[in-house]
Amino acid sequence: MKALHARYPFLSAAREAVETAGVDLSELVASDSAAVERGLERVEWAVTEGTVGEPHRRTRVELLSYPVARVLVSLVDEHILLRRYARAEAVTAYDRFSEELTATAEFQSTRTERLDRQDLLAEFDLSGHVHAVAGEDGEYRVDVGTYLEHTAGQWGDEWRLVNRPLADGQVPVDEDELLLLVRQAVRRRVEDGLPLSVPDAIATELDDETERVRDVLADLDLTRDIDTVVPDLFPPCMRHLLDKVQKGEHLEHHSRFAIAAFLTSIGMSTDEIVELFQVNPGFGEEATRYQVDHIRGETSPTEYSAPACATMQSYGDCVNKDDICEDVINESHPLNYYEHRLEEADEEELVDWRDGEEDEEDDDAG
Amino acid sequence: MEERTRAYLRGRFGDYYRRAEITPPPDANEREWGYIPWTSGPGTTMVRHKSLLDLGDIEGFLERERPRHVYFSAGRYDDPSAGSMSEKHWRTSDLVFDLDADHLPSVTLGEDSYAEMLAKCKDALLRLLDFLEDDFGFEEMTIAFSGGRGYHVHVRDPGIQELEREARREVVDYVRGMGMEFDAVIDEEAVGGEVGRKSPAHNEYLPTDGGWGRRIHERLLAEFEQIKSLDEDAAVERLQEYDGVGEKKARAAWNIAQDRFVEIERGNLSAHPVVKNFAERIAASVVEEDDAPIDEPVTTDTNRLIRLPGTLHGGSGLAVRRIDRDAVDDFDPLVDAVPDTFVGHEIAVEVTDGGLIELLGDSFTLSEGEHTVPEHVGVFLMARGRAEKGPE
Ligand code: SF4
Repeated sequence: MKALHARYPFLSAAREAVETAGVDLSELVASDSAAVERGLERVEWAVTEGTVGEPHRRTRVELLSYPVARVLVSLVDEHILLRRYARAEAVTAYDRFSEELTATAEFQSTRTERLDRQDLLAEFDLSGHVHAVAGEDGEYRVDVGTYLEHTAGQWGDEWRLVNRPLADGQVPVDEDELLLLVRQAVRRRVEDGLPLSVPDAIATELDDETERVRDVLADLDLTRDIDTVVPDLFPPCMRHLLDKVQKGEHLEHHSRFAIAAFLTSIGMSTDEIVELFQVNPGFGEEATRYQVDHIRGETSPTEYSAPACATMQSYGDCVNKDDICEDVINESHPLNYYEHRLEEADEEELVDWRDGEEDEEDDDAG
Repeated sequence: MEERTRAYLRGRFGDYYRRAEITPPPDANEREWGYIPWTSGPGTTMVRHKSLLDLGDIEGFLERERPRHVYFSAGRYDDPSAGSMSEKHWRTSDLVFDLDADHLPSVTLGEDSYAEMLAKCKDALLRLLDFLEDDFGFEEMTIAFSGGRGYHVHVRDPGIQELEREARREVVDYVRGMGMEFDAVIDEEAVGGEVGRKSPAHNEYLPTDGGWGRRIHERLLAEFEQIKSLDEDAAVERLQEYDGVGEKKARAAWNIAQDRFVEIERGNLSAHPVVKNFAERIAASVVEEDDAPIDEPVTTDTNRLIRLPGTLHGGSGLAVRRIDRDAVDDFDPLVDAVPDTFVGHEIAVEVTDGGLIELLGDSFTLSEGEHTVPEHVGVFLMARGRAEKGPE
């Protein structure tokens, strides 16, 4: 087993190596306590630190701890754990490959096999979509579909397509940005297939470890209140209405009522609502404040009765309903939709709109 | 709509479909199909979740059923006829854009005539195509007149097929200029110094070769070309008409236009504060002038049903027409989307909601009551609910 595989256990070559070595997972969890221990550590660190920790000194243990960690994550099967774990694996890999790729020749270790940029891109089917700019070191152009696949909704304003000099279907990125894109690809790779279905024998063997992970999770305060304002997670109907408001389009009364009542229900004040609406220049602030106040006055002070889906539908305000509307909330109430999305989301990645336009870029982005 | 009107329209739609050649979209058998029949009653119910297998071949189906409206899905599925989206198992989706006169800020509803609305919609279509062709570099596009109040563009390039909702939203925001932030658009470049060294000085540049940056830059360039062509006093006077531009700023701008025009060409915003100042001013208005106000939900919805080109729009009697790219400039929906089948006959109608109708280059102003009109006019009025079929 190669050190390279232990460093990057999600590579297809690493997976093959595990397969060729004929490792049997149930035997592994029963007999290799070092791999199990390190697997547990990967997951615990993922939850508490956001990385998977320092590698075990033995290559074999380090490599085999990866499938163990995946099994553990699957056994606990909490959405938030899954996301955090995948993110931590990606962050750790990113730290390692960015260091390797940027090290100057003299510091490069010759002992171990290294990952070069081409291999890394090829591993994630990126080679055909990332084009080095001739004559400009560290400058690339990424095909727009690939760019969006890995960046949409991830980071701050600078990453949004609308702020990029897109031309001929390609988005220019620099070296650092390219590596962040790869990090995102790693994360998807790790997430892929999770949760695994785990045979009972293995599950029983890992009872203690599973319990431990649950404890660690429980110690974190992961509960989210509905009064967090993340417009990206609004139900489609409300996103649509908000969008119209922000574009300065005229809304009929029932629509204005729906959006204002919804925003009130998630804990926004009149001032905040007015501010959220005010994206469009030429928007009449006073008129809106008056309207919003008025709408709030129409509802009882304790309970701002945002309309249910049935009401939204009869007014034609149910626009663009999606799978969550149909299959999860059964077209009950837009607030249920929002609550569901908040629960699904990884707390760390949610930025309350009221916390301003601060840099959303991950602190670990280096 | 009365029964005899409905029966007439359905019959004539059938005549149209007997002659029409309909080219189905690629991968037609992986898509969901739907249609709205000519049923009575106020509630129109769409028959959906059909696969091509359920319908048989498209042309045969249309001839038999003679539907009022016909749709197919932007998405492709493992099982297109399954009753819910999760059971269908989504594979990929075309990227679809919908421009609808109802949603255009430039359109004044109730004031603009149908022809005027459609003309404004075509302007927006040309702006949209500019984004799709130049910025996105898309190559596999089908452009269609919707048969109603606007245009559709179906993009089928392989690179976008698998994009999910969130990524499609980025595309929408791009063509609409939503979230464009001047500070995020401009680039910083270190001045002198070696890369990696601490070099505190940065120059700010407007990207000149792509994106909204290019659009801002083009206007900046035009502005400074103007300034350059004027003599100093005229320029200073003109520039002071802008808010917040005093004599000092105006002179500075004129000087740069004369002596350092190359900096403007490069997009160098650090050449002088006045340059950045002008660029910011332009950025604030460029979105309004250049954006393509598409209907967002259509583009982000990977399961959207959309009208089939070649079929008839039951609310206008006009054809949903595929338009070749070179033909877009000259396309006139009120001429080119009138189905031949309805041309060259006269019919009697009872007009219930009169007014102006412009079709095939003629305009008619009809009052309420019985009229004998060219059939295409009659069909249009009946389909729009503005007339009933008159006695034979
Ligand atoms: S189903 Fe409910 S939550 Fe979903 S879009 Fe319609 S009204 Fe909104």
